[in-house]
Amino acid sequence: MELQDRPHPVAGAGPDSPGVAAVALGGIDITFHLADGGRYQAVKGIDLKVFPGEFVSIVGPTGCGKSTLLNAAAGLLTPSSGSVGIFGKPLAGLNRRAGYLFQQDALMPWKTALENVKVALEPMGVPEREADQRAREWLGRVGLRTFVDRYPHMLSGGQRKRVSLAQMLIRDPEILLMDEPFGPLDAQTRQIMGNLLLDLWSRDRKALMFVTHDLEEAIALSDRVVVMSAGPAAGIVADYKVDLPRPRDIADIRLEKAFHEIHRDIWASLRVEVQKAYAMGEGRELVGGDAS
Amino acid sequence: MKRARLIALQILVMLAFLLVWHVVTTTSLFGDVKTMQFFFSTPSAVLARTFKQLTSADIYWHLGITLTETVLAFVIGSLAGILFGFAFARRELLSAVFDPYIKAANALPRVVLAPIFALWFGLGIWSKVALGFTLVFFIVFFNVYQGVREVSPTILANARMLGMNERQLFKHVYWPSALTWMFSSLHTSVGFALVGAVVGEYLGSSAGLGYKIHEAESVFDVTGVFSGMLILAIFVIAIDALVTLVEKRLLVWRPGQSATTTT
Repeated sequence: MELQDRPHPVAGAGPDSPGVAAVALGGIDITFHLADGGRYQAVKGIDLKVFPGEFVSIVGPTGCGKSTLLNAAAGLLTPSSGSVGIFGKPLAGLNRRAGYLFQQDALMPWKTALENVKVALEPMGVPEREADQRAREWLGRVGLRTFVDRYPHMLSGGQRKRVSLAQMLIRDPEILLMDEPFGPLDAQTRQIMGNLLLDLWSRDRKALMFVTHDLEEAIALSDRVVVMSAGPAAGIVADYKVDLPRPRDIADIRLEKAFHEIHRDIWASLRVEVQKAYAMGEGRELVGGDAS
Repeated sequence: MKRARLIALQILVMLAFLLVWHVVTTTSLFGDVKTMQFFFSTPSAVLARTFKQLTSADIYWHLGITLTETVLAFVIGSLAGILFGFAFARRELLSAVFDPYIKAANALPRVVLAPIFALWFGLGIWSKVALGFTLVFFIVFFNVYQGVREVSPTILANARMLGMNERQLFKHVYWPSALTWMFSSLHTSVGFALVGAVVGEYLGSSAGLGYKIHEAESVFDVTGVFSGMLILAIFVIAIDALVTLVEKRLLVWRPGQSATTTT
């Protein structure tokens, strides 16, 4: 690995910060071909850079293509046009330097928590005994030390997310991609998971792209909040810097004045898009539904 | 107790059935006793015969033959079903081309093949295994095919993001998913393997439970036929219990299968 490819240690780095971007999306267009022969352009002309050490949230109305963008960065989806650069190199196929946390349950239901985490090390050729030990360590780190032998259906939604988190982080990916990971969880669990995420992330500060529709969550967690417009052909309408001090407690930080000011600013631009999306809601469903 | 009550009711149904049978065949209420006994035998005669059979060594030899045929049909049918299920699920062209033929073959009543198999494989166990095979194969084939096709896209995408190659995806995702579907039809496929064996024996053989029943039938020994059916039923229940045991062991991870928690 070249020196310039190393994750940049500076936290809260903005788009103008030095170094090579971990993820650089350039002029991304993504068009879906629908089953009825029609087309749906989800996103259009997206330019977005995420730098090493940066926690970037992407917010926008439902169906604006936030997840689509994340999938493009993961290599799960190839954009119709535009470029995806990963640490300065064009992405071909799956993004091997990224970990992905899905909104839906992605654990293998036939494996225990321990096996689910351990299996993440198999593609890296880690010996069985070491993999076992490291998986136990990670499950301990996410607070599931006594749940290692449980199957996913015996765990709560929050616990399953913890296993997924351990499964992703044990591989030590340089880029973390998260698609509304705490979406299905209840409010309290979301806060606990948010703090856990911040705690784990702040140890080595990887580049993190976090998709959410919850603006408060986005501000509480991130260094930058990117606002997307309503689809179809969604674009980026604003890019806000969140310079709240770290370490943060995401429950406490919501009470601070600075938080409210940032929230007011971002909400001003997000609100317009949400209203647009709401107005188009029924029409879009006829076209082909949620493209995210 | 709810369970005790249920068992009591179940036993009551059996007793009622035996009683009706007994009354019909040992009194002249419904006709001549001799005629009734010729056609329906009597519960006591059937039970006595069954007991006598189960205490002699001869029946176990026949059961052994039937069991061998069932196991062979199940194992060979399952292996072929798994192999073809995977191949067809992973190769779009293969499944598209063969789709009408598979459907046609599956629609065919397999019993009509029994004489052909007897011709091809002789009257020994292999013609029965072949018949059971044609029944088991399609059940397993369709289930494995479904299991591979219906893997959750999220689980698959996640596994790929974890860096798994094709072999690892097979081992950790496709294979367990296909097995789940296969196990969900375990009772059916084992049952069909047994049907293949017994029907095959019935249509032409010199050993096995089907042969015993056929033998009794050809000399109008109704008691022997019913006794054979009773032994067959006990045999089926025993095998089914065994399958349930295996199923419970293999599908511990499934919700509702078992609530045991370790640690």
